Amino acid sequence: MTTQIFSALTAVGLLCYGLQLWSIRAAAQKQENNEGIQTDYTPPISILKPLKGLDDNLFDNLESFCHLDYPRYELIFALQDMNDQACKVAQKVKNKYPGKDIRIVAKRCNAGLNPKVNNLMAAYDAAKYEYILISDSNVQAGRQYLKSTVSPMNDPNVGLVSNLIEGVGGRTAGSVLENLHMNSFIMGSVCFLDRFLKLPCVVGKSMLMRKKDLEAIGGLHGVKDVLAEDYLLGKKMGESGKRVVLSPYRIQNVNHYWGIKKFLNRHTRWGKLRWKIGGAKYVSELAANPVFTSAMPLFILGPVRSAIMLALFTSMLKIAGDLYIGKETGTGMHPLSYLLVPLKDILIGLIWFVPIFSQGVAWRGNKYIIGKDSVLSPYTVSRSLAWKYRIVNSIRERFA
Amino acid sequence: MLLCDFHIHTTYSDGSVELGRVIDLYGQAGFDVIAITDHVVNGDNLLGKLAQRFRFSVRGDNFDEYMAAVQQQARRAWDKYGMLVIPGVEISKNHISIDMSAHILVLDVKEFIPACMSYEKIFLEAKRQDAITVACHPHHLSDNSRDTLYLWNNRDKYARHIDAWEIANRDDVFNVISLKKYHYIANSDFHKPRHLYSWKTLLNCEKDVESVKQCIRHNKGVAITLFRN
Repeated sequence: MTTQIFSALTAVGLLCYGLQLWSIRAAAQKQENNEGIQTDYTPPISILKPLKGLDDNLFDNLESFCHLDYPRYELIFALQDMNDQACKVAQKVKNKYPGKDIRIVAKRCNAGLNPKVNNLMAAYDAAKYEYILISDSNVQAGRQYLKSTVSPMNDPNVGLVSNLIEGVGGRTAGSVLENLHMNSFIMGSVCFLDRFLKLPCVVGKSMLMRKKDLEAIGGLHGVKDVLAEDYLLGKKMGESGKRVVLSPYRIQNVNHYWGIKKFLNRHTRWGKLRWKIGGAKYVSELAANPVFTSAMPLFILGPVRSAIMLALFTSMLKIAGDLYIGKETGTGMHPLSYLLVPLKDILIGLIWFVPIFSQGVAWRGNKYIIGKDSVLSPYTVSRSLAWKYRIVNSIRERFA
Repeated sequence: MLLCDFHIHTTYSDGSVELGRVIDLYGQAGFDVIAITDHVVNGDNLLGKLAQRFRFSVRGDNFDEYMAAVQQQARRAWDKYGMLVIPGVEISKNHISIDMSAHILVLDVKEFIPACMSYEKIFLEAKRQDAITVACHPHHLSDNSRDTLYLWNNRDKYARHIDAWEIANRDDVFNVISLKKYHYIANSDFHKPRHLYSWKTLLNCEKDVESVKQCIRHNKGVAITLFRN
């Protein structure tokens, strides 16, 4: 009976996964055919790059924005502190391309609790063009990125354009897991929501807006105290009557030297975000993880034949599907790395439960409590817990 | 100030990252000057023979290949990142007793220097090549399996031959170097990507090999920094 129930759940998960595959393929073909790109629409753009610390491949990521095939744009590297390790890299890129319109803006800002938004405030004030592209430091873009992304903006009803993200690189187990997840669940969910539910999902790694539209929804100040500033900007833009569009143009999130801990930390944080934003809809994520549901009978019944067969069959299907996505999108991951797909899905299935019990998030050295709609509040430790942390810390220090 | 690391290993000896990737790792992080210093291990005892057998050492027969690879990557690093790469080796005299063991960085090396030569000959040969010599992790380390104390124990004899001492290596700081007022630099002893975040040297000089060597030799405009992300 247990096996039958989980087989049915797995079938539902595989069906969802099939639809995700379909929508990724459609988006990939759209990008390949350059559908909807108007090469004559090229308003000047200010690219804001919030920098904090050294991301993998930071130099190449920043340098890729100096090679964009676009007539007029400025690049603003935004930092809270000139002593940030990323500042030296930004300076090197600026020195290498003296002919490019590049500025480094370093100004401490504690307006809100979201460090990325704080980082962007001064850069936003310094931006000289009407079109603002917020682009994270850990992404790399191809030459046609700006032309493709700005195209939908020719329609004045469009208020925000976001892009698809693919994970590339991967020289450690943690980064391979990260890239596998980015290219299957994350990309699949974004494409699925956009295609079948007409819910464009805003990914903060790339957001293009007009200043006047952003200011009409409260500007950056309106999202300074939330963790999911991207989601909230998209939501507010939609509520203001402007359309939010997902560009099929993919940008690369380069992950080379991630540890497993960093992978788990990011997806626990993102899980908490989705739990606080989606509420009951968060349950659908577990249902959309067929590898995890197919492995459940193994946990419950032990290694009986039917449970082993179900888990094996589903894992093989998932590996084949992810391999197909990788080939279709050209992420360049080694074929053998796809053997880690079942392990990754089981880890993701396990950390799915964490947000239900915990509200604390750690992000770029800061700790917060996350509330409804990802509203942040400072992390405070109660007196009883403080003792616990003090003991744990002293043990950690002893063994460090 | 130039951000520098003068003690880096690759898969040419016991490092876990290939030479090209090491260059990219440091270039992407904004470094100005690095030295590739793979081990040249003494082959006159069992430890050294094992290291050579398992290719954890640059040897006389592959030294030219090693130098050519470093120089090729140095050109790439300069063109792409504006980063200066100095070829070097870490002469590693390993013995069972830590009091007998010593590691010496030879920066801007030109010809192969066998590690089984005497210390005097090694220093003279380095001087002949106009290379810089640095005493590596000269005092007790937190990971005491890597301790190499010979040069420190015999400092009265050898200090005049040594251009600088490592005052910090990866996570360890050696206050004895400061107390003796020896010339100093700080390095990561890079073997794995996580070692990027460790003690480093800052130099106030021009970004070319001769200026960097002069700066270390005269030890003016030298600072150390704990490089963290």
